[in-house]
This record gives sequence, C-alpha cells and structure tokens, in this order.
Amino acid sequence: MSIYTLGIDIGSTASKCVMLKDGRDIVSKSLIAVGAGTSGPQRAIAQVLESAGMKREDMDYVLATGYGRNSLEGVADHQMSELSCHGKGAAFLFPEVHTVIDIGGQDVKVLQVENGVMTNFVMNDKCAAGTGRFLDVMARVLEVKVEDLGTLGAQSTKYVGISSTCTVFAESEVISQLAMDTDKRDIINGIHKSVASRVAGLAHRVGIRDQVVMTGGVAQNTGVVKALEEALGHTIHTSPLTQYNGALGAALFGYQRYLKEHQA
Amino acid sequence: MSIDVLLKEFQEVSEHPYKVLSQYKAEGKKVIGVLPYYAPEELVIAAGMVPMGIWGSNKKTIALAKEYCATFYCTIAQLALEMLLDGTMDQLDGIITPTICDTLRPMSQNIRVAMGDKLPCIFLAHPQYRRPAFGMQFTVDQYTNVKKELEKIAGAEITDEALRGAIKTMNASRAARREFVKLAGQHPEAVSAVLRSAVLRSAWFMEKAEHTAKLQQLNAELAALPASNWKGKKVLTSGIICDNPKLLQIFDDNGIAIAADDVAQESRLIRVDAAETGDPMMALAQMYADQDYDVLLFDEKSSENRRADYVVKQVKESGAQGLILFMQQFCDPEEMEYPYLKKALDAAGIPHVKLGVDQQMRDFGQASTAIQAFADVL
Repeated sequence: MSIYTLGIDIGSTASKCVMLKDGRDIVSKSLIAVGAGTSGPQRAIAQVLESAGMKREDMDYVLATGYGRNSLEGVADHQMSELSCHGKGAAFLFPEVHTVIDIGGQDVKVLQVENGVMTNFVMNDKCAAGTGRFLDVMARVLEVKVEDLGTLGAQSTKYVGISSTCTVFAESEVISQLAMDTDKRDIINGIHKSVASRVAGLAHRVGIRDQVVMTGGVAQNTGVVKALEEALGHTIHTSPLTQYNGALGAALFGYQRYLKEHQA
Repeated sequence: MSIDVLLKEFQEVSEHPYKVLSQYKAEGKKVIGVLPYYAPEELVIAAGMVPMGIWGSNKKTIALAKEYCATFYCTIAQLALEMLLDGTMDQLDGIITPTICDTLRPMSQNIRVAMGDKLPCIFLAHPQYRRPAFGMQFTVDQYTNVKKELEKIAGAEITDEALRGAIKTMNASRAARREFVKLAGQHPEAVSAVLRSAVLRSAWFMEKAEHTAKLQQLNAELAALPASNWKGKKVLTSGIICDNPKLLQIFDDNGIAIAADDVAQESRLIRVDAAETGDPMMALAQMYADQDYDVLLFDEKSSENRRADYVVKQVKESGAQGLILFMQQFCDPEEMEYPYLKKALDAAGIPHVKLGVDQQMRDFGQASTAIQAFADVL
C-alpha cells in the first residue's frame, strides 16, 4: 500500500503544497500567491487535495514549514524550519548539491549541504534588501510586472548602479534614475546586480561549493540568477519546481518521520 | 520551598522591576540606578543603599530618547534614557553611568543633560589599562569619586568595614549565580531558558543578600535532583543581553537548553570576586583588573585571540553542542569581535548561528526559524 505525505510551505508571500507518494513521486502540487495570516494556506491545502482527488484523512503524514508553519495546528502532524526543508528538497532535486541559495519573500538563506543534510546556514538580518520583497517594491516603482523583470533586464545595454544597502534608499535611487529618463531595462539590470551583490556577500560567509542550487520564487528571475552567477563565479542550477522546494522538502521529511514512527 | 515556587518568585521580580523599586522606596530605602558595565555595586551597598541594574526594557518603545540619540544607537542605552525621561525611574536617588563603550560614554552626558538637577548622575570612567599600577590607581581614583558622590546621597560616610561587608555580600551573590548557571545547565528539565534568564536578571533588581539567600535555596534544591536525562540539544549563548522571554521561549519550544553563557548581563560580569581583606578600594580595583575575556575590555595580547579561545573552551566544558550569538544591533565591540569568534569556533568545529537582536523587536519569527534550523544542524 502506498504512503502519501503532504508538505505545506506557508511563506510570507505565498502558500505552497506538495503531495508525495512513497517519498518519491509528486502526486499533486498547489500554489496560492498569498502566505501567512491569509486564506492562502487553507486554499492551497484544499487545492492540492482536490487535484489529487484525496482528503486530509488519506494523508499518512502532514508536515508544515515556512514562516506560518505554527498556524496549522490540527492540520499538520509536525512542523519544521524551512531551512531544513529547503536543504532536503534541493538534495532530492539535485543529489550533488552542496550549496542552496533560497531567496524568499522576506528572507535570504544560504545553506551548506553535505550528503543531502544541512550542515550550516546563514540568514539575512532583519532587512528587506536582497529579498523578494525588494524586487516587488522595485517592480511597483518601475510599473512593470515582477515576473517580467528577468526578460526586461536581459535587454539592458548600459550599467546602472543601484545601492544594495537598503530597500528604501534603493527605491529613491530608482525614482531618481526614472526622473533622469534612464532606460527602465538598465535600471532593472542594476537592481538584479544589487540583489546579487547582497546575496553573494551572505553566501561567502558559509562558503560556496558546487553544485550551487537556487530555490524560492526569485529563482524564476533569470536576471537575478545570471547576476548571481557572475558575482559568485559558479554555475547556478534551478528547477521548474523552485517555488515548491520547501514544500517538497517538508513532504520528504514527512515520509521519513512516518517510516520512523511506524517502524518503532 | 519547591523549585517551581522559587523560580516563579524570581520571575515575578524579573518582570516587574518597577514594583520592586516602589517597594524599596515605600520601605524608606534609597535606590541607586546602575547602568552597565562593571559599576562597583559594593559601594552602593556599603552606603546602605540599594543598587538596581538598568538594562533597557523589553516592553517600552523608544520615543523621548530619540531627541538625544541617532537611530543606530544601542537600544539598551536608549531605553535606559527613555525610562529616565518618561518618569519610570523618578523614584531613583541617583544613577551611576559607566562609560566603557563608545555608546555609553556620550550617553552618560545625554543622561546628565537630560536629568539636570532632577537626579544626581555619577560619572564613572574605567581605565582600559586596568592592570598596571597606574591603571589600578586610576580605578581607585574613579571609585573614590563615585564613593564621595554616593556618600552625599546617603548622607553618611562609607567606612572600610562597611565596604568589606558589601564585598562579602557581592562575592556571595556572584558565587551563588555562578553555581546556579552550572546547575541550570545540568538540569534543563527543571529550569527552562525563560526562567533561567529570570533568575539571573532578577539579581540586578533585588537586594543582593535577599536574592542570594533565595538563590542558595534554589541551588540546594537543584543539586539534590537526580542526574538529568535531557534528550534535547544544549547550546552556549553569547552576547550583551538575551533576556526577552519571547525569544527564550523559542529555546524551550524547540528543546534547546542553555548549558552556560557568555552573556554580559548574565555571566560575563560575575566571573571574578574581590578580596575580603585588606584595602577594600584596592580590592575593588583589583577585581576590575582581574576581569577578562570581555569584548569591552582591552587585551594586551589581543593578537592571540584569547577571548575566542576562552569561549570555545566554555562551549566544550559546558557540554554545549553549539553556540547561539545574540548580536545586539548596532554594538560596535560585539560586531568587531565577531570575526575572531567565528574563526575560533570554525577551527574547533563548533557550529554557531548569529542572530541580530535589539530591544525594540516584538516579533521573533525570523529568530524562531533560525534557532529551529540550528537545532536540526546540531
């Protein structure tokens, strides 16, 4: 009989679920673009169950992670930090991984992974610079969609320096550049380099070893990935499942815990 | 009295220092506020007054102090000023303002200007060359100034005999606290991280002899417990201060015990004692000279990284599996020392995590994630 585990990752800006069969096959997944403290988690759970045609009771183990992981009492069997889950998910997708860079809505995390297990990590301080929120703020000022940033930045022809110290100051810089009629595409490229320099500084604290894998929503932005590759001097691997990586790790841990509890 | 009852009593004091201050005043006692670090509380006790430590606040918001301080100013210092300005400390009879870091030095002047004639402010400048004879003499001279000012407030002279008695009182307090740190590390099931902090924090507010008597009772109860069978993790904490119950609750929620600490408010300031015989002023100066392994103190052999090696030794001897560093924002001495600490920890294979904290933080979501992940790494 198959074992079904559900990983729920409630981030600060999105809720993600991954359902696994036997700790190996992805049965279904869901993503709602609002996170902790919203209807997002419940909607994401309802969606992932519905698309698999299953109920909560059919799940052998449910494990929650992410910023809102403590809000699922009664739904989840256990909760774990998203750092551990991102390490686990990345090692499932890329067995040779040694470094995971996760840029989420309000956090940047860099993980060191050995044999699929997280051995060290660093997080950003309480500051939005270099996070997904930073890109959201900039996209709003530039009147472009956040998902178009990568494509637009790739068309840049001129370097424009944007500060990596503070989101608020960087926003003022972008407004000044707009006032000077600087090409938006060049500004976007500058923003990507700004994020990359911030994240690279953090990454160097734990050390970078190949394979380097980037997870989290920002990994979908090809401009940031490219700028980060240049800043680190390493190839960065991403997956189409990048946003689901934390939930995937949670489902994998759920499977492990289920086996452990039922062997005991 | 049971362990739980004693712990609750310490917690009550730790959470309500204002009530304690009001009680002392109602009893007709004079109370002297003591800012960090290394102020000789012995002199206050010898003058027949009560020293009360001022370590900022986890509950107040900085508003009035902003008139005096830049935004990046240490929140412990800002909140001390805030409480002086908003009337919380109106009952104090005086305040000692040590100046051993670059934040406290100007803060001593901010406090003096802000208080005007309202509150006697006693300036105290410790020497960084604390060990040579001229440094010792400088400390004695400084302490003599403090003594004179305290005598004015008390309206009585501080005799050598009274000072020797106060040294005994403080030595007993420090010894009981050191013993408690050891016992709490050995019996984490009995003393949660939240309550451990409350016991050590309350020592800054209660009359020392009363605190010591109660703590000796608690220590005796803890020592009588059977050997611990702790299944969780153990860490050493480091930093200036780590006394926010919400932050410490994260330790308890994740089964992380504090094996020992390198925290200024807890153990850093109680590592050495003063001689109970001989010239008591010289004994206090010698005690300051004997202080070591502190980011705030000059180290003649700084190239040897002695402090970081000491912390590594503390981790190993306490049975901790890792270190959690609470980096007070924006504390220059701690920030500048961190690379050396990191180097020594990495070389010894001791995992650590650094968390930026300040006393205006009300949400610890990010710290919770990092601490929980750290427990997974250990």
